[in-house]
Amino acid sequence: MASITTRLREPGIRGHEAAAGWLFLAPVIVILGLFLVLPIAMAVWVSFSDWTGNGSPLGAHAHWVGLANYRHLLTTPGLDQNNFGTSLRNNLYYVLFVVPVQTAVALFLAVLVNRRVKLVGFFRTAFYFPSVTSSVAITILFLFLFSPTGVINKLLSYLGATGPSWLYDPRGLFHVVLGQFGVHSPPSSLANGFFLGVSYWDWLSGPSIAMCVFVLMAVFTTSGTFMLLFLAALQNIDDSINEASALDGATEWRKFRHITVPMIRPTIFTVVTLGLIGTWQVFDQIYVGTKGSPLNTTLTPAFLSFNQSFNNNEWGVGAAIAFILFAIIVFFTVVTRLATRSPDHVPRRRRFLKAQPGGSAP
Amino acid sequence: MFVHRSTPTARWRLALAVVTTGALALATGAALGSPTSGKASSVTALIGSSGPAETYAVRNAAKAFTKQTGIQLNVIVASDLGQQLAQGFASGNPPDIFYLGNDQVATYAKAGDLAPLDNLKNVKSFYPSLRAAYTYKGHLYAAPKDFSTLALIINTASWKNAGLTAKDYPTTWAQLASVAKKLTRNGQVGLCTNPEFHRLGVFMLQAGGWLVSKDGKTATVNSKANQTAFNFVKSMLANGSMKLTNQLGVGWGGEGLGKSMCAMTIEGNWIAGAMKADYPNVGWKAVELPKGPAGRGTLQYDGGWGLAAASKNKADAMAAITYLTQTKVEMGNAKAFGVMPSVMADRKEWSKTYPQYAAFLAAADYSRSIPPVPDIATVLGDFNQQLQGLPNTDPKTILNRVNGELQAILK
Amino acid sequence: MSSATAAGRPSTALRSEASAARRRRVGKLVSYGVLAAIAIIYVFPFVIAVVTSFKTDPDATQNPLSLAPSPATTGAFRQLYQDQDFLLWLKNSAIVTLSVTFLRVFLDSLAGYALARLRFRGRGAAFATIVAVMAVPGVVLLIPKFLMIRQLGMYDTYYGMIIPLLVDAAGVFIMKNFFESIPISVEESARIDGASIFRIYWSIVLPMARPALVTIFILSFQGSWNELAHFIISAQSSGLNTLTKGVAQLASGQLGVGNRYPLKLAASVLMTIPVAVLFFVFQRRIMNVSSGAVKE
Repeated sequence: MASITTRLREPGIRGHEAAAGWLFLAPVIVILGLFLVLPIAMAVWVSFSDWTGNGSPLGAHAHWVGLANYRHLLTTPGLDQNNFGTSLRNNLYYVLFVVPVQTAVALFLAVLVNRRVKLVGFFRTAFYFPSVTSSVAITILFLFLFSPTGVINKLLSYLGATGPSWLYDPRGLFHVVLGQFGVHSPPSSLANGFFLGVSYWDWLSGPSIAMCVFVLMAVFTTSGTFMLLFLAALQNIDDSINEASALDGATEWRKFRHITVPMIRPTIFTVVTLGLIGTWQVFDQIYVGTKGSPLNTTLTPAFLSFNQSFNNNEWGVGAAIAFILFAIIVFFTVVTRLATRSPDHVPRRRRFLKAQPGGSAP
Repeated sequence: MFVHRSTPTARWRLALAVVTTGALALATGAALGSPTSGKASSVTALIGSSGPAETYAVRNAAKAFTKQTGIQLNVIVASDLGQQLAQGFASGNPPDIFYLGNDQVATYAKAGDLAPLDNLKNVKSFYPSLRAAYTYKGHLYAAPKDFSTLALIINTASWKNAGLTAKDYPTTWAQLASVAKKLTRNGQVGLCTNPEFHRLGVFMLQAGGWLVSKDGKTATVNSKANQTAFNFVKSMLANGSMKLTNQLGVGWGGEGLGKSMCAMTIEGNWIAGAMKADYPNVGWKAVELPKGPAGRGTLQYDGGWGLAAASKNKADAMAAITYLTQTKVEMGNAKAFGVMPSVMADRKEWSKTYPQYAAFLAAADYSRSIPPVPDIATVLGDFNQQLQGLPNTDPKTILNRVNGELQAILK
Repeated sequence: MSSATAAGRPSTALRSEASAARRRRVGKLVSYGVLAAIAIIYVFPFVIAVVTSFKTDPDATQNPLSLAPSPATTGAFRQLYQDQDFLLWLKNSAIVTLSVTFLRVFLDSLAGYALARLRFRGRGAAFATIVAVMAVPGVVLLIPKFLMIRQLGMYDTYYGMIIPLLVDAAGVFIMKNFFESIPISVEESARIDGASIFRIYWSIVLPMARPALVTIFILSFQGSWNELAHFIISAQSSGLNTLTKGVAQLASGQLGVGNRYPLKLAASVLMTIPVAVLFFVFQRRIMNVSSGAVKE
């Protein structure tokens, strides 16, 4: 403390910048180290150990078991592998359904509220509001809406349809559709082949009816946030471009397809990336809503990791799931970046900036 | 605002002051809010309560214990007992005593989280079967506090309306199937129950099957007897006289019964309190479950008190457990929330007080508890998940799967 | 709108212009219709939630769609107050959220200023570290954070609930960007006057950064108020339950207590009020916040 004070008294501000800079950064760096870097190191160790939650993971109760936990998940047939495979399947379908739909809906909403129409402020607010409410409140609301005797099924009954029991219904969407065509059981080639403990037939199930509720919920809660991102991008497009194309007599759709979309490509990348990162981390909704039921069809890797550690005392397996999940997220992010790379691409760092509207991943 | 003097030192002091104030505010808050860590003369009890009645009863017992012994006994109601217990153990600061289901006892005992209770004063007063349910590798790891058995619960109005009388209470599978069919009318199904081992498992026992072999070393989930049991269930599901609660869209059998969606269900003692609270106008009766090919069989839920190995106050904690498992307290609990006492001596008094619940107590003679195997809760959890798909799955597939999982943890 | 610029064009263009205007009018009507329909989908669930919280349990189950509770009752709210520790949850949420929010605003602006303005060795590395942090998904950190919190003896205390949430790389970024957008000349003159670095930061730059500070305030408030997972793993005693945790546990009710939808929805409605108020107060800013972050 004393030395800092004396140095600050010295003439010439530049000389103090190093000290001041580090001092200004110190709280952030310390917290980062303590609650991010060190914990991750510790969790890496746990993922290679047989710690069961008794005593300290750094103490006598934990032993090195090498890759056993990872093998348990990836190569050893059994309950752990099966649950892990199932959770991956569930989350994969969740991602495949949520990301395109929420991106499309958000863009659609943005285009709608980008017009100079009356009440546009109200509409923007209405679409954005679900994004600020907590996942707990929204989940409870959806549990109510989609309860078997709830709002949605009541609405469907007015249309003469009988709704499914939603969150209790473990049937996969694709299986249901196949069932409509009379296909009820898998050909033996699909029933007897397994990947990560899950049969090929079950890999092809599609999201369960229960999971579909969570898909709808995700679209409902995140489309507002992404709408704002798209809105900003749309407003950045020079008006003269729009006018020029209007004079050319281009139809709205063609204008949208050939002018708007290419111009907001970076934002599309951002939204898809944020969507991918967010959708691979579904936890709150499952914790509040179904805890993985029915028939494990809403089990996600994030929830499974939590459950294995905090409920089943298999901390090593839980930590290993977390790291595999991390790898998956990184993989998908990189793939998206490669796939949506545009010719005139923005420098990396800037793009990254753009990808962070506030760190509140959906 | 508070920057008036302009020496650089003042600014730095200010910065530090701000940081410190922040930290202090945190510290104060933390000190205010952190749970009182056990002093020498206090014991913390974590319970998973079935409702206000249970909470009230346990708190009262704790007060009486404190009055008698001077030992402070703090009762904390868990919102998620399993998770809070696991976090307590992992954080190194578990509650001293806690509710412990017998599906978890082996898991925690194996991890070294539990202190043995072999020297408990009243250890001999418990039903031997309950003691066995809490014994792992020769040591008792929880003091049984109460238990509940599963029985057949019947909606009396539906029963009458279907033209059935007391003579028709089913005593065989065939009779069960036949009354279920008769009761399936007016938009109501005959029988509904949760798709879980702790309900449908009764049929396994009635068919002569079980989870493990007699020596407890081999998984027998996919035995012929169990297949017979689930084929019977499936036949009722197939002809529409039975539905699982997830097919009906209700949370559990009691709700199905209360909402008149089914006329019969398989539930335990807790149904009494729930029906009284939620569906006071629905009349019901508990009868013993029918005999299967191998006779009677039902499952039981055991409640016990566990003691943490990390407890700093084991002597007082043991005293608390002894107090909480004595006749007077257990009968109080029975009155408050319908469970059956774990102390054999209380049997007469209980059946005298609750003649209408005789079916539950009668079942105590032949009911079974889950074998104390580490991680069995995980396997049964998967069994329950798989049973949710029973209407569309061959039982053999489910049984084979669970058999493999159980065998994997037995060795 | 574009007619003024096109006024000088030949008459064919004018004619097509007229038809374009007609098209636009029709298009406008259609988009109003679509907007209204979607707005109903987005607003209706919240209306239903509020209405249902004034219903009785059987009414909520039997007439989920009705917008008129019969009978209307505040029973759910009274129950929250009497049978549940709602006020305790509220207190805990307030303590945690306010601590996190104010500390974040302060720490983020400090760090952002250092990264934007101060030149020193290691700045690039520090910046890179913070970039890397942003890439680590939060859910992956649940187990690691729990391990560290217990190792540091902070488990089941406000410390453990608050301090790990102070890591806010995105906030540091927003501040850094904002500081970079302020002309440096303002600071230079102060430097020449011999003001200390902290003085410049505190009394010159910070007041100018109000918009960014408000942004961080809103984001942090919303983020920590709605946080669930971290509170699950950092504390277990019911005395430390926050609103999210308490209400989540209401949702997974015990056997035999019934659906209790009015109670759960009442809790959801109440817990949404603070963020909703914040949202409506700063509505304009929020709508610009995100766009600002994107536009840079």
